[in-house]
Amino acid sequence: MTRQDVLEQTKKVIYDCFPDMADMDLQEDSVINTETAIDSMGFVLVICKLEALFDVRIPERQWKKLQTLGDVVDAIYKRIK
Amino acid sequence: MRTRKKRNTEVATVRFDSFAHLLSHYAETSADAPALRFEDRTLSYAELYERVQIRAGELKAGGRTCLGLLCDGSLDNVIELFAANLAGMQLVMLDASLDDEILKSLIRYTDVDALWGDEDSCEELSLALMAGVKDGGGKILFFTSGTTERSKAVVLTDHSLCQSAYNGSAKLPLSADDTLLCLLPLGHVFGFVCGLLWGLSCGACVALGRGPRHYLDDCDFYKPTAVSVVPMLLGFLLKMRCINSELKLVLVGAGDCQQAMLSAAAAMGLRVSFGYGLTETSSGVAISVGDDPYAMEICPDDTITLAEDGEILIQAPTCMMQGYYKRPDATSQVLRNGVLHTGDLGAFDANGRLHITGRKKDILVLPDGTKIFLPEYESALMQALGHTELAVTLRGERPVLVYSGEAEAADIGEKLRAMMRSLPRGQQLSDILITDQPLPRTATGKIKRWELQQKVGLL
Repeated sequence: MTRQDVLEQTKKVIYDCFPDMADMDLQEDSVINTETAIDSMGFVLVICKLEALFDVRIPERQWKKLQTLGDVVDAIYKRIK
Repeated sequence: MRTRKKRNTEVATVRFDSFAHLLSHYAETSADAPALRFEDRTLSYAELYERVQIRAGELKAGGRTCLGLLCDGSLDNVIELFAANLAGMQLVMLDASLDDEILKSLIRYTDVDALWGDEDSCEELSLALMAGVKDGGGKILFFTSGTTERSKAVVLTDHSLCQSAYNGSAKLPLSADDTLLCLLPLGHVFGFVCGLLWGLSCGACVALGRGPRHYLDDCDFYKPTAVSVVPMLLGFLLKMRCINSELKLVLVGAGDCQQAMLSAAAAMGLRVSFGYGLTETSSGVAISVGDDPYAMEICPDDTITLAEDGEILIQAPTCMMQGYYKRPDATSQVLRNGVLHTGDLGAFDANGRLHITGRKKDILVLPDGTKIFLPEYESALMQALGHTELAVTLRGERPVLVYSGEAEAADIGEKLRAMMRSLPRGQQLSDILITDQPLPRTATGKIKRWELQQKVGLL
């Protein structure tokens, strides 16, 4: 699986969790917290779904460091490689 | 000054003087009853007390005096905190999700000489360890919510926390047949008292949540009958339909709860109670027990009065903090003659029940229960941006920056990126609003928070 695959699937999970964001063009540097209206509970939901999808585990202490979409993709990609 | 007497609706419950008293009592009277569950492990009250005593002996032999606990809510975490208390150590409850640099600052401030937590974190943070304390026995330090490196540590004791748990259980008693789900961080006093100590004080079983990634399935896994939550978490559980059929009682604290959420909870047959209290009062001093969750009865040990301007003043002789750690100046600003000046605004209804009506202080209370201390937060923003005409307010329950002057929101966001990364997610700015209008201010230059909030709400 390439990093691009992870990026696309991550975006799909976010769009699935938050249908209101369907018309939003998420970029790698989109700061998820400020540009996408994903609050802390929503973020938990996204991470849980991504962990299940990719069968990875991102330590909870790392979660707060995942600010942009790219940060999330990197955290997953690093763990499935 | 208006005063209301407490209604005499208390239920007789056991009052414990200390953690040792609580643990030894149930180890004797309910030895085989389940005390704690974590994942697939269960400890009876007798086993819990035995494990705590053994660990207390080890800690005592170690000779350390002040333990910093990186709270992860695990079974071992709970055993360690009780053991350290029984060993006569000062306990400092640290939020493991905080940035390392903030944690180091808090460790230095509170004289921590030993750490408990995951190995990697302890190794990194051990660089900040101090020489310990001489008179820390029984003291348990919690940081005010919305923790930053300049946060104040509130000095509580196992005695004050036990009295607070008694206050809660007198109003909302649990039985040995109940399972209380502990989802909130133990490093926050509401999570500690209402997620853990409330259940243990009643001899109930406390199921320790398995962390945020299990918010979705902890109810199904543990089948709790009661749970303590902050409003945002309740909304999440309801929205995701992860409430189990056995759950009957939800205690909500540390923030405002929208009516729609209450209606959704009621539709599921849940009884919702609100609790009001502060870290400084070892958690709750008023709890709603009737049909109206917004109408809170004052707890047995506490007296609440209202100042002329509506500020809630609390006398809680059994639960009050000893003070802010090494901050007598800050203590005397809020605690005068045994009366805590909360900065919250309230009113009594005809039945003497307390209703929270607003905030007097420059504080934003977020739906996840944390607080933003605006002068401190805005000062950091001003420093990062080199600009003083700015203010922070709430829009849709999330903090937004209002920037008065010429600038691009994207540039401001970039300049603030490092600062935002260091903050808990809920406290990060959700938007930046640029205005060419001056900020609304009083004659003395203070920002008119209410007016600003109204204007932002219209944007």
